[in-house]
Amino acid sequence: MKPAPFKYARPDSVDEALALLQAGGDEAKVLAGGQSFVPLLNLRMASVESIVDLNRLDDLAYIKRDNDTLRIGAMTRHRQIEVSDEIRAAQPLLCRAAAEVGHLAIRNRGTIGGSLVHADPAAEWPLVAAVLDAQCVLRSQDNSRTIAAREFFLAPLMTAIEPNEILCEVRFPVAPVGAVWGFQELCRRPGDFAIVAIACQLTLDDGGTCSTASLAVGGAHSTPLHVAEVEPIISGSQGEAAVMTAAAEKAAAAVDPSGDVHGSADYRRRMVKVLTQRALKEAWAQKRKRALQ
Amino acid sequence: MSREGTGKMLGAQVRRVEDPRVLLGKTQYVDDLVLPDMLAVAFVRSPYAHAKITKIDVQAALTKPGVACVLTGKDILETIKPLRVEFDTQKVPFHKSCNWHVLTPDKVRFVGDLVAAVVATDRYTAEDAAELVEVDYEPFEAVADMESALLADAPLVHEEWGDNVMERLEAQIGEVGKAFQEADCVVSERFVTGRHMASPLETRGCVAQFDVATEALTVWSSTQVPHTLRASLATLLDLAEHRIRVISPDVGGGFGLKAHPFPEEVVVTYLARALRKPVKWIEDRREHLSASLQAKHQIVTAEMALKSDGSVLGLKARFLSDAGGYSSYPWSSAFEPKHAAGTITGPYKIPAFSFETCTVATNKASIGVYRGVGIPIAALTMERLLDMGAQKLDLDPAEIRLRNMIRKEEHPYTTLMGAEIESGSHQASLQQALDILGYDDFRAEQQKARQNGRYLGVGIGSYVEGTAHNSAVFDSFGVKIGGYESATLRIDESGKVTVFVGTHSHGQGHHTVYAQLIADTLGVALEDVAVVQGDTQATPRGWGTWASRSAVTGGGAVTSAAQKLRDKLLRIAARLTEVPADDLELVQGAVQRKTGAVRLLSIPELAHRIIAQPTSLPPDEEPGLDVTVAYEPPPITHSNATHVAALEVDIETGQVQLLRYIVVEDCGTIINPIIVNGQIQGGVAQGIGSALYEQAVYDDAGQFLTGTLMDYLIPTAADVPQVEIGHIETPSPYTLHGIKGMGEGGAIAPPAAIANAVADALSPFGVRVNEVPLTPERVLSMLDRAQTNPGTE
Repeated sequence: MKPAPFKYARPDSVDEALALLQAGGDEAKVLAGGQSFVPLLNLRMASVESIVDLNRLDDLAYIKRDNDTLRIGAMTRHRQIEVSDEIRAAQPLLCRAAAEVGHLAIRNRGTIGGSLVHADPAAEWPLVAAVLDAQCVLRSQDNSRTIAAREFFLAPLMTAIEPNEILCEVRFPVAPVGAVWGFQELCRRPGDFAIVAIACQLTLDDGGTCSTASLAVGGAHSTPLHVAEVEPIISGSQGEAAVMTAAAEKAAAAVDPSGDVHGSADYRRRMVKVLTQRALKEAWAQKRKRALQ
Repeated sequence: MSREGTGKMLGAQVRRVEDPRVLLGKTQYVDDLVLPDMLAVAFVRSPYAHAKITKIDVQAALTKPGVACVLTGKDILETIKPLRVEFDTQKVPFHKSCNWHVLTPDKVRFVGDLVAAVVATDRYTAEDAAELVEVDYEPFEAVADMESALLADAPLVHEEWGDNVMERLEAQIGEVGKAFQEADCVVSERFVTGRHMASPLETRGCVAQFDVATEALTVWSSTQVPHTLRASLATLLDLAEHRIRVISPDVGGGFGLKAHPFPEEVVVTYLARALRKPVKWIEDRREHLSASLQAKHQIVTAEMALKSDGSVLGLKARFLSDAGGYSSYPWSSAFEPKHAAGTITGPYKIPAFSFETCTVATNKASIGVYRGVGIPIAALTMERLLDMGAQKLDLDPAEIRLRNMIRKEEHPYTTLMGAEIESGSHQASLQQALDILGYDDFRAEQQKARQNGRYLGVGIGSYVEGTAHNSAVFDSFGVKIGGYESATLRIDESGKVTVFVGTHSHGQGHHTVYAQLIADTLGVALEDVAVVQGDTQATPRGWGTWASRSAVTGGGAVTSAAQKLRDKLLRIAARLTEVPADDLELVQGAVQRKTGAVRLLSIPELAHRIIAQPTSLPPDEEPGLDVTVAYEPPPITHSNATHVAALEVDIETGQVQLLRYIVVEDCGTIINPIIVNGQIQGGVAQGIGSALYEQAVYDDAGQFLTGTLMDYLIPTAADVPQVEIGHIETPSPYTLHGIKGMGEGGAIAPPAAIANAVADALSPFGVRVNEVPLTPERVLSMLDRAQTNPGTE
């Protein structure tokens, strides 16, 4: 299980990396944490002419807060997000999702940018980016653009990034006042990719009535799926059982899953329903817990 | 370290002497071996399940810089014999043999079958060149399922057989018809076990080197059976056995998988000789999963007849087993169902039993022996049927077992299959396991949880584990291998001891236990005993380590050898000191007079005289302190145990969460509780894999779908609870020290105990739990089935 030959470069600056990509054309690929890409190379399921290794680009590893926006550099490791007090205070759902990525060794090496560009529909970061309406900042040698995560993911392992671009930063909105969230992941063993995962963020008023809602599904569709149709069902409600059931049915109807050895398409669709209800319950339970504190 | 002040090492909690090396990374595995000018092999393997090879073009690969050679099946058809399992046809007339060519010359029979070997300066180049070997295939319809393999129009895996049946055997013992006529209650079920894999941390691998001066070969292989491998290499390559030295260095787990000689080892050895250069092959994980050996895949249809008091009157079972494309040497790929049938009665008194075993060839990787061989599915079948019977008769699952188990005073008990279970503690182990759980409290908690919509369950799995089969047993199986074990013991001039053994420790801790046994017999310290293994040039002919045999057979050989040298030391010491030999003993490195506990002579002093000053010896004594012993154990040694699983089932997702896992084990006299506990914990981990996670999956076309550890799921430390262990020691009346083997037991009962616990948890729904692994989706579909057809169980 050895990779086919490839050229390798480890630039010291983003500009140098972008120049290498520009020169490499379609046959150059970016290496971030390597937790998915390197196994694909070793299995010869992917082969490339050249690799541009971003691991020396420390200026892409940062966590910053600008008012209502969290800016996370693409080379930030999962573990740095998991343990960041700043993120925990601003958008705790990110810490929760980070903790579910693989195992500790993987989280120490893997990066948020790598995971987003790899675009596994069952991975945590694409799901969270979709539910929170994150913005992806892409740069090429002559251009810089920002694209919404909800438009970034096109298909399994396929995104809107161009071969000459690097994802440099992800921007998440800071959780608004009254925000609660739910995060439910079903996997065979802790650390595995999700069979199905659901993330939601709601804003509740003091009485527990939902004013805004966002919910997304991972693992049950070709991309992480932001299910806008559930939002009018949940908004204005107080999390009544019938509302959650209706929202869960809507989410299950929205997905078009494919099956594998860990779960058939039917099972995944069914789990979307189960986990959607659990995620919404978790969100409202957070509200009750806060009220008690 | 002493046990209750007796000063004995037997039974002491001795820390494993192996561990510091392992923990500090000082072990040397095959892949750590680097020789000058060493070449690497990459194999070209079939992407088809079943196809004819119409053409192989190696030109492009051969011209790639760094490539030394490309070998195909046609090149070696005349020079390397195929692996072929041949039974004694008098004893096993119903077995069909097949050729397993080390590189297939004509037809591929599974995804991963060996088509060509590419040798290059390094593995990277070899893999690049392997991609350049052009093979044309004419694909055939695949035999992808063991039931369809039996259909009249099924494609044939081995044309010369006329059908796909490798082996079929029927037998009836006792009055089965009468048992079912007289039954108050009959339960029946169809059970399916997953296709599991041993998947040790270290995959297979070997290095071969040819010495041009002596024309001798040295083969380093990650094997459990160095001597058996040497014999196979000699036979298949038509070489004199003494020109081959097999060294099995540190081995990172085997679990039975590495108790087989493999085609790759034969090819690598051939290449080293042909190319006059060292050649290395290290199996990667994808090769391991798709093309080593798989295990334990059976469909069992079984029926049990019971009286209203719960006593079992009789049992009928049909074991259908999916052997894969070839037959593994030496037990064959048909051993799994036979061993299931032969062991199914377990700890229970079953008066009548009829069975059929049927093994069919399919287009999958072949079946080999893996921890527990056949017994896990036998236990699953028996233990589920008992629970089903108990439910029908409104008996407690514990109660029905206690009624049917062999009682302590009934030993030695001869089973229907003719095995003598020499001693045991079946009821006591069950009772103790339930006590550790707090059975009544758990039942109360279960009731309470159900009212809150939570589904807890408890399941029992009891079994008997036959270990350390002797030569006569293998002879009766028609298998041409020995059950004895050998040891050479040497005391050197400094009084230190070296033992050379034919067994092979690849995690078990033999160094520690053999040293304990020798220390007790020779009165020396543990650290004064060195253990040499895994080198055919250094050790006497032995049969390696598998089937939980080493404590009994290797331990027996080591102890017998130590007793012989102890007797010689005491005999000579008696002459030198003029104290009667029966008043002498070896204690703390010295010859001591028992009367008055007087130290007379140190062992180093005595050893020095026997070795270096032989003129001082009595004339009828040979100089030197070397002895070789072959120890033949009693026919089969039986350990017993009860496992109890407590778990919770999420009825919305089908996920099973283990809460507690309890094992009460009786392996006779325990040599070292730390090692016994480690075997239990590790075995249970693999058994949990069988019960909940692991399955090698093929699609309808025979394509292999679980080629990475993201697809083939092995439980991790996070998925395996700390096993709560209890011990009972009922010594064997026949073995030295009363020791019984126990290495496989941990892996035997988890499918049974966990399946029973899932059925118990879901009993309000009447769910049929009859298939492992119990994946979330499978559990949910069992629930669905129960809700569509209520009252089927």
